[in-house]
Amino acid sequence: MALLDIKNLHANVAGNKILKGINLTINPGEVHAIMGPNGSGKSTLANVLAGNEIYEKTQGKIQFDGADLDDLAAHERARAGLFLAFQYPVEIAGISNMYFLKAAVNAVREHRGEEQLDAMDFLDLIEDKKQVVKIRDDLLGRAVNSGFSGGEKKRNEIFQMAMLEPKLGILDETDSGLDIDALRIVSDGVNALRTPDRSFLVITHYQRLLDYIVPDFVHVMVSGEIVKSGGKELALELENDGYASWAGEEGV
Amino acid sequence: MELQQLRETAAAHFKADGFPTTKDERWRFTDVSRVANTEFSTEWKASNLKFKPLGDYYLVFENGKLSSEKSKIDGLPAGVKVGSIMDHLDPRLGQLSDSQSAFVAANTAGFTDGAFIEIADGVSLDSPIHLIYLADLDGAAFHVRNFISAGKASHVTVIEEYIGQPNTSYWSNAVTELFCADHSNVDHYKIQLESATAFHFQTVEAQLGENVLFSNHSFTLGAALGRNDIRGKLLGEGSEAICNGLYLLKDKQHFDTHLFMDHAVPRCNSHELYKGILDEKARAVFCGRILVQQDAQQTDAVQSNRNLLLSRGVKIHSLPQLEIYADDVKCTHGATVGELDEEALYYLQTRGIDPKQGHAMLTYAFANEVLDEVKSSAVKEYVGRLVQDWLE
Ligand SMILES: Nc1ncnc2c1ncn2[C@@H]1O[C@H](COP(=O)(O)OP(=O)(O)OP(=O)(O)O)[C@@H](O)[C@H]1O
Ligand SMILES: [Mg+2]
Repeated sequence: MALLDIKNLHANVAGNKILKGINLTINPGEVHAIMGPNGSGKSTLANVLAGNEIYEKTQGKIQFDGADLDDLAAHERARAGLFLAFQYPVEIAGISNMYFLKAAVNAVREHRGEEQLDAMDFLDLIEDKKQVVKIRDDLLGRAVNSGFSGGEKKRNEIFQMAMLEPKLGILDETDSGLDIDALRIVSDGVNALRTPDRSFLVITHYQRLLDYIVPDFVHVMVSGEIVKSGGKELALELENDGYASWAGEEGV
Repeated sequence: MELQQLRETAAAHFKADGFPTTKDERWRFTDVSRVANTEFSTEWKASNLKFKPLGDYYLVFENGKLSSEKSKIDGLPAGVKVGSIMDHLDPRLGQLSDSQSAFVAANTAGFTDGAFIEIADGVSLDSPIHLIYLADLDGAAFHVRNFISAGKASHVTVIEEYIGQPNTSYWSNAVTELFCADHSNVDHYKIQLESATAFHFQTVEAQLGENVLFSNHSFTLGAALGRNDIRGKLLGEGSEAICNGLYLLKDKQHFDTHLFMDHAVPRCNSHELYKGILDEKARAVFCGRILVQQDAQQTDAVQSNRNLLLSRGVKIHSLPQLEIYADDVKCTHGATVGELDEEALYYLQTRGIDPKQGHAMLTYAFANEVLDEVKSSAVKEYVGRLVQDWLE
């Protein structure tokens, strides 16, 4: 059974039609990449999947791990194993990263019928997962994303993903803002999280990321539609030719 | 002045002027006619309320009267005097600048008890002195008067806590006078947990000598109607006054905070951070007046009042008032009124945290900025829990 099955998805934001009939199926263990020009709707798709209510789904059906996503609020989707690493992670003053992570991990554990982690177990888990993306200790003590550099925010997103162990990780331009070394570390971290069951949807503008996180499928999104799908070689083609051949009414 | 004479003068003021009305500029947004129109009894009874001391030394006042059985002041180091104000009348009592205000005058004319604390020069007290005021007498008025004197280079932490029995109606009308001598370090906290049907008014006035570090933190959760007047007088150079506060109001609670920071001499700092969380039909008034007198060059004064509105039915009046007569000063102020950050709430939700918990986390985070500044770990922990409980 597919982990994620999107059929004819249409979505609006602020009254504008952004997604215009997306079809996408992701099976367990697969890595899919989505590329496409600025404003084509990639983040919109990610946020519709994550359950942001400012995006209005007008048509279509999304099945995630056997459930209809329409029935689940954002926090229930997260608990069910859907994780979005944001293009622009939000800064939250006054809540420490540690406190936030503990609340998140325990919410997800409760849903899975697992015991709540006490302070000691939680610290052990942190120590363990911290290695995945080599996150610095001082970032953990600070307020969530507050004053983090662009790259630190992205790394923190992947760290959270490692902590929450989702079934599907959606990475929205996680590579943008990362320096060359950080890109390698974060990609290695994502690869370390790959399992036969865990799937990824990787949104990116650059072929370079896909050299590290090698996708099974690449899709091209233009003006809210997937205009072409292929294997990893499609990303190379795009790198050379750009999106010119799909330039539509928006004149991308 | 003799106490008797002080009382007579105050009673005469009160008789002549009566309670303020909303026509009075300083009381424009706070209508005290409910207090003015209530007859309060002068009965007394012991209190059944429970309390938890936050320090090694504490005085317990039951419905306005000191209970020596419930208090504990043994083991105080030499040079520290703690007791009832009725046994220790300091000649400086009643010298505060706001003596003519109706609430202060009513207190001066009628106070029946209160705390007296005197720390000798050079003495440091490690444990806080906790003053606990228990109120569970319907229809009563409590006028307590506190007098705190910190000697030169002394160190002291005083916590005032007002606890009321739910659903009792009474009028608590307190005045605290603080004298902080040169180089002293004084931390003053007030935790107000009066009954939600009570009236609570307090004037706190602190006079600071040279190189004093003074802080006042006021946490307001209780009372149907109330007001804090907090007045700092910077009379010696090189001193720093911190006046922070947090008010958490719901139902139809109305709470007014009037700060007045008087910079009379050069090179003093004052920092004021007041945050409010308002729900349901609550009303808050914040008036922060900073006066920088002509001589007070190189003053550094910062004031900020930030409010979080949890419902559409609340109202807030935030009024900064800067009066600056010196030219070489740094003064900033800001007031904000906002709602919870939806984007932050969504972010928490995408990590599995449900909206209710997310709401509580973000609201707590808002309050936490004030708690972070609290030096006393006992106060920080206790008030932290009170805030958590309030949010639930
Ligand atoms: N909250 C919003 N309010 C108004 N318009 C929005 C909002 N979110 C997205 N849009 C619009 O929807 C369109 C698609 O935006 P989206 O962020 O999905 O693009 P994207 O493909 O992720 O672009 P990029 O590559 O630049 O990240 C854009 O025209 C954008 O301006
Ligand atoms: Mg985007």
